[in-house]
Amino acid sequence: MILLNSIVVVLKETIEAGILISVMLSISQRTALPASWWRWGATLGLGGALLYAWQLPTLTGWFEYAGQEVVNSALQVTLFGCVVALITQLMRGQPHRLSPLLAIAMGLAMIREGAEIVVFYIGVSQQGESLPSALTSGFVGITIGASVGALCYYLLILSRSHYAARLQVTLLALIASGMVLQASQLLVQIDWLPVAAPVWNSNRFLPEQSPLGQLAYAVFGYEATPSPVELGSYGTALLVCLCAGLTARAWQPTGSAQR
Amino acid sequence: MKLKHIKIAKLRRAFLLATLTTACHSWAAPVIELAIENNRFIPDLLLIPADTKIKLLIHNRDSAAEEFESFELNREKVILGNTKTVIFIGPLAPGDYGFFGEFNPTSAQGIVRAVATGEGSP
Repeated sequence: MILLNSIVVVLKETIEAGILISVMLSISQRTALPASWWRWGATLGLGGALLYAWQLPTLTGWFEYAGQEVVNSALQVTLFGCVVALITQLMRGQPHRLSPLLAIAMGLAMIREGAEIVVFYIGVSQQGESLPSALTSGFVGITIGASVGALCYYLLILSRSHYAARLQVTLLALIASGMVLQASQLLVQIDWLPVAAPVWNSNRFLPEQSPLGQLAYAVFGYEATPSPVELGSYGTALLVCLCAGLTARAWQPTGSAQR
Repeated sequence: MKLKHIKIAKLRRAFLLATLTTACHSWAAPVIELAIENNRFIPDLLLIPADTKIKLLIHNRDSAAEEFESFELNREKVILGNTKTVIFIGPLAPGDYGFFGEFNPTSAQGIVRAVATGEGSP
């Protein structure tokens, strides 16, 4: 059972970060950026995940057991800021400034998900389960997650350039807004934001725990029962992305053209 | 028959716990305690008053971490081994809301049952 569970846990964590990373890789490919940024991003993500998992016992106790939510929401909002900056630079037609932003965004996307995988495997080893078997199953989970990311990547790079650019910016905005929604949900969980009854329940049409529901959660932060605060934060984040994109396009420097 | 008795005793204990903790923390959100032992939630049925915000105090008594997760409650949190944590839930409409441990989903399962006042609620 632990083997199947390893696949599910790792796959779930991989997909969330994987979709964003695949969109960023497709942007890098389209704008012909040097590949070094993703090495920096992966290093930041892996190092950050290990550090986070190591420090989790300490930060969990902060703010009367609310530390985890505060740090995670701060990571999500920082990542949102990075993505807004990415959208701005893309719309201004200045791809040479994208590399550091892509590296930081990739690192931030990996930290929380990576730390959860590390904590899971520490638990597996503490329970006396076979770690090599669990790691092999986790590798299967990573492979499936990476395949979904690869599919997204190839769909983007094989699209016609004009549509691909729009699709990349739209996907970035949706993913980043989903992260703001998740951040608001974490703050509701610790009673830092007000809670209210859900605005609707779409579980009948798309159950949140179904594979498609989980994919929708990873791509645009799908919530079957969103509260007014979550919807408000999602809408505000989308609006910020839209305003940032439109403003950047209006103030496009002379001589630079969006690819 | 014996199993039924055990189940009723568990329910009574959960009711009593909810009532006591509610009385002790009447100035703030009522506190309901939940434990994780041997990869199971104890109790696995939490009775809470409907339309009331609840502070869920979870104590993981296992050495390994667990992740509390609920799609119905929109909650997700890693609870390290031998540590406590807090999650706020509700106010909830009367009904059942499932939760599970993501790291041990087959054994760690539970239900939050929000009961309307006047229906023998806590």
